[in-house]
Order: sequence, then structure tokens, then C-alpha cells
Amino acid sequence: MKKRAWYGSVWRFFASVKLTIFVLIALALSSIIGTVIEQNQPIESYYIEYGERWGDIIRTLQLDDMYHSVWFVAQLVLLMINIIACTYERFPPKWRSLLRKVDDFDPSIIDRFSNREAIELGATLGRARDRVIEVLRKNRYKIKLDRSQGDEVKLYASRGLIGRFGSDITHVSLFVIIIGAIYGSFWGYRDFRPILVGSMIRVPDADFALRLDKFWIDYYDTGQIRQYNSLLTVIEDGKEVLTKQIWVNEPLYYKGIRFYQSSYGTSWNRIKEAEIALKRLDSNKVDPPFSVKWGEVSKVPGSKYSVRLVGYVSDFAFDERTRTVFSKSGETNNPAVQIEVYNGEDLIARPWLFFNFPGLIHAIPGTQYDLVLMGFRTIPYSGISITKDPGTNVVWVGTGIMGIGFFLAFFVYHRRIWVSIKASGNGTIVRMGGVINKNPLGFEREFKDIVEAVKETDSRA
Amino acid sequence: MTEPKVIMSLMFFTMAFAFYAATALFYIGYWLLRREWIGQTATIMAYIAALATTMVLIARAGESGHAPFSNLYESMILFVWAITIGYLWLEHRYKIKVIGAFVMTISFLAVLSASLLPYRFKSVEPLNPALQSKWKWLVGILEPMGLERYAIGWLDFHVFTTFIGYAAFAIAFGLSIMYLLKERFEARKKGNFLVDSFPETRILDELSYRGIALGFPFLSLGIISGAIWANYAWGTYWSWDPKETWSLITWFVYAAYLHARVTRGWRGKKSAYLSIAGFIAVVFLYWGVSFILPGLHAYA
Repeated sequence: MKKRAWYGSVWRFFASVKLTIFVLIALALSSIIGTVIEQNQPIESYYIEYGERWGDIIRTLQLDDMYHSVWFVAQLVLLMINIIACTYERFPPKWRSLLRKVDDFDPSIIDRFSNREAIELGATLGRARDRVIEVLRKNRYKIKLDRSQGDEVKLYASRGLIGRFGSDITHVSLFVIIIGAIYGSFWGYRDFRPILVGSMIRVPDADFALRLDKFWIDYYDTGQIRQYNSLLTVIEDGKEVLTKQIWVNEPLYYKGIRFYQSSYGTSWNRIKEAEIALKRLDSNKVDPPFSVKWGEVSKVPGSKYSVRLVGYVSDFAFDERTRTVFSKSGETNNPAVQIEVYNGEDLIARPWLFFNFPGLIHAIPGTQYDLVLMGFRTIPYSGISITKDPGTNVVWVGTGIMGIGFFLAFFVYHRRIWVSIKASGNGTIVRMGGVINKNPLGFEREFKDIVEAVKETDSRA
Repeated sequence: MTEPKVIMSLMFFTMAFAFYAATALFYIGYWLLRREWIGQTATIMAYIAALATTMVLIARAGESGHAPFSNLYESMILFVWAITIGYLWLEHRYKIKVIGAFVMTISFLAVLSASLLPYRFKSVEPLNPALQSKWKWLVGILEPMGLERYAIGWLDFHVFTTFIGYAAFAIAFGLSIMYLLKERFEARKKGNFLVDSFPETRILDELSYRGIALGFPFLSLGIISGAIWANYAWGTYWSWDPKETWSLITWFVYAAYLHARVTRGWRGKKSAYLSIAGFIAVVFLYWGVSFILPGLHAYA
């Protein structure tokens, strides 16, 4: 017995609307924190910005990623439990009482409504009944009860019953949205790939590849940027399946994966071709430049040498440990190309030529010749965001349901009118009373209009 | 193109500004002095102000070549327009002019703050890449008629619905303030000339609720259409950026308000405070986030 009481009070707690209000306010207040403290930064930066004490607090309470923290998600879970409990507690009795067929009613209930009116009509009982029904129907009421008992007719009519279920539909929609969000966060991913023009990438977690055919920028007449565009081709089993131009706001969608235009730049590890010139160290004279294509060999005019273009970095850096050259950023801060110098068939040197520092390395050692990098043609890339979120459609279904729920909850009101018509002398007395679940001010007006219409039909007759 | 062509919209804006100032003054005058002619003048002024605001929006659309909802200044005008139209409907329907002293003052303050915005928030700019989104089906319908440049998209829908919501909340806020004033004097059981002309607390409470019951679904539509648009532009429908989060905070507060009305102990005064808290959240969502907190939504 005692155990049941304990269980009951816990249940009442979870099923109370007060809990809903408190959780909603708690969610509102706690959500502010994450808009003030920047989210998803490296943890050290919080210690630097807020000091050790607050840094500890931020780390312990997971405020660096608070919308995914245990305590924040717990609030959402509590709200969900609350919605389930409330629905379980309230929905079945509501359903039963709203859909119960009204067989009869005690006319004295009419006196309890704040919207009530008694009218005397000169018409007979039958005609009065017909008129009231006609007026109610004109106001789009459905007659749910029409019962004659001797010299009394009882009518019960209602309109907008379905509006009562708007809140329940809205609650269901919240559920669908949250399920979609959870589903997407577990089975989806988000990735980014820069694709060089003309090259191809494998799409993660999919059985097709993507090629960038072209990247270009559109401008307004004023010179401001109008749009970034990429032409993408989907390649599946070695065959071109689909080609589409994408731009910001217009992604490519293929097999559940979306590809978005998200950034652009120039390649940091490849170029199309380089312009190189022969420099005679004895006379300090530079010959007109010649061009060499990526991976190809070109004769150096005016000499017995030839060069092959083998490497490029946009921002030269050297790793001492692995003794390799790499680009330390995507910016063209310190561009350099690597060439192989041949004397006939013999490889004699593999120097790096620096665009900003000509002559830093003597390209053809032991001779009076040097090579100078005069220019190069980079390859643009387009930064493509790749997302797969299988929950998105579930979320959209949820928002659709929410739209229906809102429409019913906020714009469809449940109005009910009870009428008792009694013969009195030569005429009848019509007593009407009505209620609405929302918008009482609007109903006052509608009720008056209905009463007036009933009176008016009498004067017309 | 160095000199933006905003002469027409500026002219209408100046006109609107003057009429909003007059409208607010006349409504306050009506509230304090209770002369019928002051009230009638106030209503006429309000209609002219509404017309001028409509003209600002139309002129602005003509000048920029896109729907006039693309920066802070334009959105302020839309906000004021929606409050004023909403108020005029309310007055037409319920014939309670004293509400104008509060609601039209909010309109005037909004126009005033729009006029004080620095120039960079007012200039007519072509849309940046992320702001260009048009419904393809609509473009398809308009194209044969040569009207495709008038097509709108998720951005326009998002801004429009959001601001209908904000305006409804602003009206509800004004009504909640009136409710609290009236309630306070009624609790003392003393008449006061300031609140005697107010409608009953029951009506103020109900009208305030009506405002929120209209604003809430529109705010939700705004959030959802924003999410759809974000999903197109950034590949994710929700990224907890400050604007998004604050819209959700506002949504939580008004959701609390709606549930408060179902609970007996939370009606009236407590729900009026929630309505005020909700509107403070709206103001922060609208201005605070744009000016104080950085994020993807920084342009408006």
C-alpha cells in the first residue's frame, strides 16, 4: 500500500504540467551559457581565457560542448519523459470524453455557461427547431444530438472537435523530430574535401566517386561576389552517372549524400606548369623563360640541359626528422617548385627553385648556369562539404506533423452549443448556452451572432 | 553604382517616422486625456504610418531588386509594419484604443532605433551567395511570364514568418505590461486614472495570449524554414549557432507560457511575467545576438 503511494507520487511528478514549465524554463536559462562561452574550442583555450578555476568548472560541466553534455541532454530526456507521462495520463480520458456520444443532457447545464441566452420566438416547436439547426449549420456546426421529448426539443451541436487534438499531435511531432536528430547524429557524418579541378575523390562510406570538372566565381557588375560554382560529376563503376552544377544553397544529392559548395582555393602541392628561365652567372643575364608542364621534360633553350617538373609546395617547409619537404599551409606564402636537371640522359641535380628567393640554391652546381622560377600556374580547388544525415527526412516529417498540430491547436477551436426549445403559449422559448476551449472573446461574438440570427429568422417568418 | 538609389524608400521612411511619432503621441494623449477626437486622430495617423511603412518596403524592394528582408534595417521596417498592421486589426476588431498607447509606442521605438542604425546596416546591397535561395517551382511558374526575378525562396519565407512572430510577441508584451499595471492597481482596490481606461484584466490577459498563440506557430515556422535553408546552405539543419540557440531559448520561454496557461496557479500574473521574459528574449535574439555574439547569422 505504502509502496503504491510512493510510486503514485513519483508518477504524478513526472506527469505534471508544472514539471513541463520548470524544465522549459531550465532549458531556456541553461541554453544561454553556450551562447556566451564559445563552443567546441580546444580545452586549453578555456583555461587561457577564463583562468584555472573557471577552466576547471567549464571542463567538469562540459560547458565547452554543453548542448551535447550529459546534464543538458538529461533535461531533454526529462522533457520527453514528461511528455510521455502527460500524454499517457491525459490523452485516453480526453479521447473518451470527447468522442462519447451525447444521448441526452440536462437542460439546466445551459444556465451554467457564461455564454447563454433565452429567446422567445413566435414559431411553433418544429419550425423553431428547424431554424436553430439551419443557423447552426450555417455557422458550420455539426448537429450531434436532436432529440424531441414531448413539448421540448434538445439540440447539441459542436464544431472544431479535432482542434482538441492539436496539442497531442504537436507533442508527437516533437518526438519524431528528436528521434530523427538522434538517428542522424549516430548514422550520419560530416566531412570536407578539397578537390582539384580535373581530379577525383572517393566518397567516404559510399560506392561512388566524385570528379570536379570546373570551378568558377560569378560577379556582380559592382565587382562583389555573386556566386561560387562547381561542376561535379558522379562516377560509379567507372561510368559517369550524373553531372551537376552546384553553388551555395544548391547542393548535389546522390544516394543519401549531399555535396555542398563550401570554400575554394588554389592547390598547395601541384601546379599545371612552371615558367623557368636560364640565368648566366658570368654575365648576370637572364634568358627569356620557357615553360615546363607538370611531370614532363622540357629542353632548356640555349643550353645542353633539360628539366622535368616534379614537385611544388605553396608554403615551403622542411621536416628535419623525416627530411621531407611539405607545405605548411594552403596559402601561397613561399611557393617553390622542384625540378630534375638532366645533362642528356644523366640526372645531375634535383634542386628546389624558390619564387621569392631566386638563386638561393644553385640549380646546376659546378657550372656558370642557374635556373630561375619566373612564374607558375596553379590549379584551383573547390572545397566540398560532404554530409550524410539519414535522420534529416525524419526531422522534416516531424516538422510537417508539427505544422498540422499547430494549425489544429492554435487555429481550430472546439465550440459546443446546447439548445433547449420548449413550447410556450403560441410560440416557443429557445434557451442556448455554449462554450469554447480557446478564444472566449471571439466566441462571445460568434455566440451573439448565432442568437441574433435565430431571432432574425423569426422576424423574417 | 557608388551612390545607392534609396531616395524613394528614404523619403517614405522619413514620412513613416514622423507619423509614428505622431501616432504614439496621440495614443498616449488619448490614454491620459481621454478625448475622443485625440483617439480618432491617433487611428488616422496610424493608418497613414502603416501605409508609409508599406511604401518603404515596396520602394526598398524596387531599389534592391529583391524582397526587402535582407538586412537589419529592412527587417526592422518589416517588424514595425507587422506590429502596426497587427495592432490596427486588433483595434478594428475590439475597439480598444488605449492599447495603442503601448503597442504603437513600441512601433515608434522600433522605427527610432532603425533610424539610428549605422549606415552599413541600411545600405542596399546585392545578396551575398549564402542569401540567394529561390524556390525552383516558383521560378518555374514565373519564368514563362518573364517575372522570375520576383521569385522568392526560403530566405524570404524565413524572415517573413519570423517577423510576424516577433510582431505578435511585441503586441503581447505591450498587453502584458498593461495587464500587470491594471492588476497591481486592482489588487489595491483603488481606482487610478492611469488604468481606469484599460480593459478588464481578463481581456488583457486573453488578448496577450492570443498574440502569443499567433506568434508561437510563426516563430516555429521561422525556425523550421531557417533550418531548411541552413540545410541547403551549410549542410546541417541545426548547428547551435547563437542565433539558432537564442531562437530556441525564446521558443522554450513561450512554450513555458503556453503550458503555464493550462495550469491554474500559473495564470494571470505569472504568465504575464513569462510573456515579458519572452519578449526580452526576442529583443536579445534580434539585436543582442547580431551585435554582441558572433556567428553564422552575423549579417542580420
